[in-house]
Amino acid sequence: MTLSAQNIIKRYGGVVALSDGNLDVFPGEVVALIGANGSGKSTLSKVINGVVVLDGGQLLLDEKPVNFSSPQAAKDLGISTVFQELSLIPQMSVAENIWLAREPLLVGGLVNKKAVWSQTEELLSLFEGTYKSKLKPDSVVGSLPPDEKQIIEILKAVSFNPRILILDEATASLDSRQVQRLFELVQKWKQEGKAIVFISHRMEEIFQIADRYSVLRNGKTVGAGLMSDINERALVNLMIEEASVFNHARKNQASLDAANKDVLLNIEDLKTDVLKGVSLSLREGELLGIGGLMGQGQRDLLLALFGDIPHSGKISLKGKLVHFHHPKDAIKQEIALVPGDRAKEGLLYIRSILENMLLPSWREYGFPLRIRSAQKDATRVSSSLSLKMSGLDAPVSSLSGGNAQKVVIGKWLKRKPQLLLLDDPTKGVDVGTKAEFYNLLTQLCEEGKTIIFYSSDDEELIGLCDRVLVMHDGVIRTELSGEKLNKQNLIAASLGSVNGSEL
Amino acid sequence: MRRSPWESWLAKYPALFAMIFLVIAISVNLILQPNLFEGDTLNSNMRVFLPMIILAVGQAVVILSGGIDISVGGIVSIVNAILATRVGLEGSPEKMWQFVFISILVGVGAGALNGFFISVLRLQPIITTYASGFLFAGIALFILPQPGGGIPSDISALYRTTRPLGLPLAFYIIGVLLLAWWYIRSSRYGRFIYAVGGKAEAAYETAVPVTLVQFSTYVISGLMAALSGIAITMLVGSGNAEIGSQMTLNSITAVVIGGTAMSGGIGGVVGPIIGAITLGLIQNIISFANIDTWWTTFVNASIIVAALAAPGLVSLFGRRRS
Repeated sequence: MTLSAQNIIKRYGGVVALSDGNLDVFPGEVVALIGANGSGKSTLSKVINGVVVLDGGQLLLDEKPVNFSSPQAAKDLGISTVFQELSLIPQMSVAENIWLAREPLLVGGLVNKKAVWSQTEELLSLFEGTYKSKLKPDSVVGSLPPDEKQIIEILKAVSFNPRILILDEATASLDSRQVQRLFELVQKWKQEGKAIVFISHRMEEIFQIADRYSVLRNGKTVGAGLMSDINERALVNLMIEEASVFNHARKNQASLDAANKDVLLNIEDLKTDVLKGVSLSLREGELLGIGGLMGQGQRDLLLALFGDIPHSGKISLKGKLVHFHHPKDAIKQEIALVPGDRAKEGLLYIRSILENMLLPSWREYGFPLRIRSAQKDATRVSSSLSLKMSGLDAPVSSLSGGNAQKVVIGKWLKRKPQLLLLDDPTKGVDVGTKAEFYNLLTQLCEEGKTIIFYSSDDEELIGLCDRVLVMHDGVIRTELSGEKLNKQNLIAASLGSVNGSEL
Repeated sequence: MRRSPWESWLAKYPALFAMIFLVIAISVNLILQPNLFEGDTLNSNMRVFLPMIILAVGQAVVILSGGIDISVGGIVSIVNAILATRVGLEGSPEKMWQFVFISILVGVGAGALNGFFISVLRLQPIITTYASGFLFAGIALFILPQPGGGIPSDISALYRTTRPLGLPLAFYIIGVLLLAWWYIRSSRYGRFIYAVGGKAEAAYETAVPVTLVQFSTYVISGLMAALSGIAITMLVGSGNAEIGSQMTLNSITAVVIGGTAMSGGIGGVVGPIIGAITLGLIQNIISFANIDTWWTTFVNASIIVAALAAPGLVSLFGRRRS
């Protein structure tokens, strides 16, 4: 069975995730789908397995056009996916999860427990010896460590005996032994005539297992071919945009001057469940970038600094040792967090702009609230942010993504923070608003504010920051600054090379 | 998702805590009533506990699938009102069985109504059944405005004194319930109940008919409420449209004591049955100790608050430590 995705278009609201996605999958072959953060890899895989419905282009299965209305429809045609977000039910056992809704039955509708058990053991034996705990068919999934959950998710996808298997970052939480076992299995499945779509951020894995590659950049397929015809450097170059649309010329002067300023924040050996000891120091007025692949601990770093999650290690602010147990402690020390998921953590969507903007500051307006002066303050903040709105009373839900994000920042600006923590603030923001946003950040730094800026957009980091810390697996892998801060080094460091110049 | 060891323990032995509670309740009861296990005492206790046991089983199925049914007390009241007014103290056995059948239909219909609103229209279970519970209680009062009426005393005696092989009738009914649950638990449908209660989105992605499963659990709960109403009517022999109003909270308490998580997906039916018996024994203890009856409500309410707060308190202290 061959599958061919041609000129796929997918939009989420106003954001174009895929503008020209192409992928050919042939039996007995591993094709690697490669691209930087946000290039559309996951979207393309979701189109192929029926999780999202495409807006344009076509899918051909054995040269006949097909349309998947649901993941089930794709599964019925032999396309099975190992999801990044697991589709397992934590309260149920391994066997129950793998065979859910497909249990072998006895006469009278009873589940054939013996068959379920033996078939599950058969599947588990594929990974035998690579897991630590006593993994049995009746182990409760919720009590398993992440790598074993991932293995169960893989086995669940395999149990469908699919003709096309999509592995979407399936190796992310596996250790090297488990990855090797998976690759041995992939080789076996190849010989059986299965096709495998392999999505991974790890270059070495791609070179080890893939036969062909297809590179996505900004929602477009920009290159495809045989792995034997390309090297790592050429592949990274394909992932990088040649002519950058990023034209934020004004490099932050204040940040360059920061070397002479006082140290504002010093962190030593910060640890959380995810962070494995992070140390950094930050001067006043600096705009420090945090980069790396998604989910390497960047978010934990910001949340720990904001006192939102339990952490250990030394944090000193202006030379004084602090330990925040609650965000309100951090807010008192004039720290502000612009959270990553603004819809969930940053805004009350159905309430008005005014209410959202003044949420952290209402107690300054007495009782009963002095609405007039509140409105005046909110107007001042919103005009300084050039917020496009129909009025302060309009609900935040009426704003575009970029303008909604401005409200989140506005609500903290009102309190004049000295340290701003930004968690990927430009995600889902259109280009025009992004440019305004960059100006705002530069301006804030010039005013003497200090900013820690995590972004999944590498160009942003290069264009705005003077210094970028690349995180990998809970530690700071590399610090890039000055000449060394370029796209190639940043991507190479994200993918795990210790020093970008090695490539 | 991280889970405390307490949770995975409960997943393996859901009835464990109920057992501990039961042993304590039996011990105290034995001191107050040494002949607890003698035939007559056992029968008179079990026939009183049975309506709550049946109700708790229905409630457990709903809670397992991630919902809750606060309307069960109202359904019990309707069934009691129907039987007391339509059969009457002088009614014939045929009339009785005819209205028992109708009562079952009413229970199933009431459950289907809840199920439609919750699974098809996606309304919140707690609000929906709270509201429909008032509706059912109102209908019961409409049918039977004043306490009165009843069923023939020989039919009532059938329930009260039948003891096949010398064992209380309630034991046989519990046996049937356990057998039915064993069948459900061992069939695909049983897996679906746990899957929907555990993580409905993941169940949906895995092709579990989530809507149908949710709907069916409310029908089961309605059916069990009707059976419970029939049992309690046969126990007391008379009609009172408020008879079910106290039973809803107790059915939920029994499920919680029985180790079934309020969030769904963990537990079973054995624990809630033991929980219902334990609640009955606690009520016994209170009446033997000559304390005011309002203590029963107080104790039940305290149990449910403590049981609900326990997981939250555990994680709160866990957080403090880190």
